[in-house]
Amino acid sequence: MMAVSASHEIVGDDVVVVGLGLPQIAALLAKKTHAPGATLVLEIGVTGASSTEPSLGIADPRMWTGAQAFGGMIDVLGLLLHGGRVTLGILGALQVDVAGSINSSQVVLEDGRVRRFRGSGGANDVASLARRVMVVMRHEPRKFKQRVDFLTNPGRLVDGRPRAEAGLPGLGTTVIVTDRAVIDVLEDGLVLRSVHAGEEASAVVADTPVPLEASGAHETPAPTEVELQLIRHELDLHGWYTA
Amino acid sequence: MTLSKVVSLAKAVAGVEDGSHVALGGFAITRCVVAAAHELVRDGRRDLQVTQTTGGLDTDLLAGGGCIKRIVGSGGSLDRFGPLHAVNRAVLAGQIQADEYSNLAIALRLHAGALGLPFVPMRSMLGSGLLDTLLEQEDAVRLERDPFTGKPVVALAPLNPDVAFVHVDVADEDGNAVIGGPTWSLREIACAARQTVLLAEEVVAPGALDPDAITIPAPFVTAVVYVPRGAWPTAALGLYDYDTPHLERYVAAAAEGGDAYARYLDEFVYGVDSHDQFLERAGVAV
Repeated sequence: MMAVSASHEIVGDDVVVVGLGLPQIAALLAKKTHAPGATLVLEIGVTGASSTEPSLGIADPRMWTGAQAFGGMIDVLGLLLHGGRVTLGILGALQVDVAGSINSSQVVLEDGRVRRFRGSGGANDVASLARRVMVVMRHEPRKFKQRVDFLTNPGRLVDGRPRAEAGLPGLGTTVIVTDRAVIDVLEDGLVLRSVHAGEEASAVVADTPVPLEASGAHETPAPTEVELQLIRHELDLHGWYTA
Repeated sequence: MTLSKVVSLAKAVAGVEDGSHVALGGFAITRCVVAAAHELVRDGRRDLQVTQTTGGLDTDLLAGGGCIKRIVGSGGSLDRFGPLHAVNRAVLAGQIQADEYSNLAIALRLHAGALGLPFVPMRSMLGSGLLDTLLEQEDAVRLERDPFTGKPVVALAPLNPDVAFVHVDVADEDGNAVIGGPTWSLREIACAARQTVLLAEEVVAPGALDPDAITIPAPFVTAVVYVPRGAWPTAALGLYDYDTPHLERYVAAAAEGGDAYARYLDEFVYGVDSHDQFLERAGVAV
């Protein structure tokens, strides 16, 4: 559901920076269904990625087979992204806040200890520079914060002000897709757009411990048979990301 | 006729001193400069500054060997095999200072270093905790105003590592080198460093390589080391895959730390004299 819902956010000829896992599967699904003109790029220096081989990360050469062009970070994160040609970034998050800001660096545990994670990589560049950003993550209460523990990647607002005032182009995070719901990120807060089949809006709100406007929530369109077949038999054969 | 730049790994690594600034070519589980990292650990190098866009097995080995004082980079991992346990443990213990940037920021700092620019402006990292932290701890990053529009920009100082280690598919004896596939910041570190050491899977005579295929031209290269499977157990596109059993073994030892990690280093790093011996001990036919 998460992969299919995320794929629906990809439109037309989007140029999309993707990371490993669900973002990659969502983008490939969009490319194979409603958005064949989309171009997938990887921060490591790959443009026009289309590999469906199960891979372990963007540094796994299996993810580069069938690519249109190879280059470096200056090509992808510099010329394409900083140059303003990337229309959508898809990012994961340890935590996301009401402005769509993302923490992917470290969290403070209940006993006060700090746990480090993989860090920004190219995620800050994507969140800073892409025209719009989609966050894809599991819907767990601890992941929604009024303010993230560490602000790796800015969202729609910076210190409560429009991000353009901080010098940032683009919109920042416009949508959060989880395994239970689709949440729009507006400048004045989070809005529950839809809940996936079998979910109650009230239950999703209860598991989202930040203000979430839910009055207009509807049900997420169900995946089509074609989408399910593509995911199960081609894009995620082993069920690593979607099972 | 130029003198061949081909030297032994031991000689190439001897250019690194305690406190040197070293750039590593690895990215997570691909083209990590494992042969060089092992040699530096065996040599007992200390207090290195490591610059790397995305850390990988090479960074973790150096951290685990106690060689690193500071990392200038953008995080890292071993992809789905796991995090950089040795790096994370040393950072949390205060043994390594980690300056965390975005990937593009590191690539641009190296690019500025390679071009000889005094600084480079960038719009990434604005409004982020990364920038706030760097402004507190680093003089290499400033929040400035664009002199033309007055808008905020991040100004980044150049980076010029003392020694860069880069894994390449093939190099000629002059140092012209070919890297297949994506090159992340490999060109930048090779061109920005004062000395660049290539770990080459194959070495050919000058003139044998197609000029169209060259990733790193000879003037940037100080030394060429012939070291087959020099990135193993990480991958090199078209040459060999990452080795799942060995990486799992490494990650298990690194996750446990202490004696388990020491035993890994004893067996595969301190207990061998060369990369060939390491491969032999790890059960790989060269």
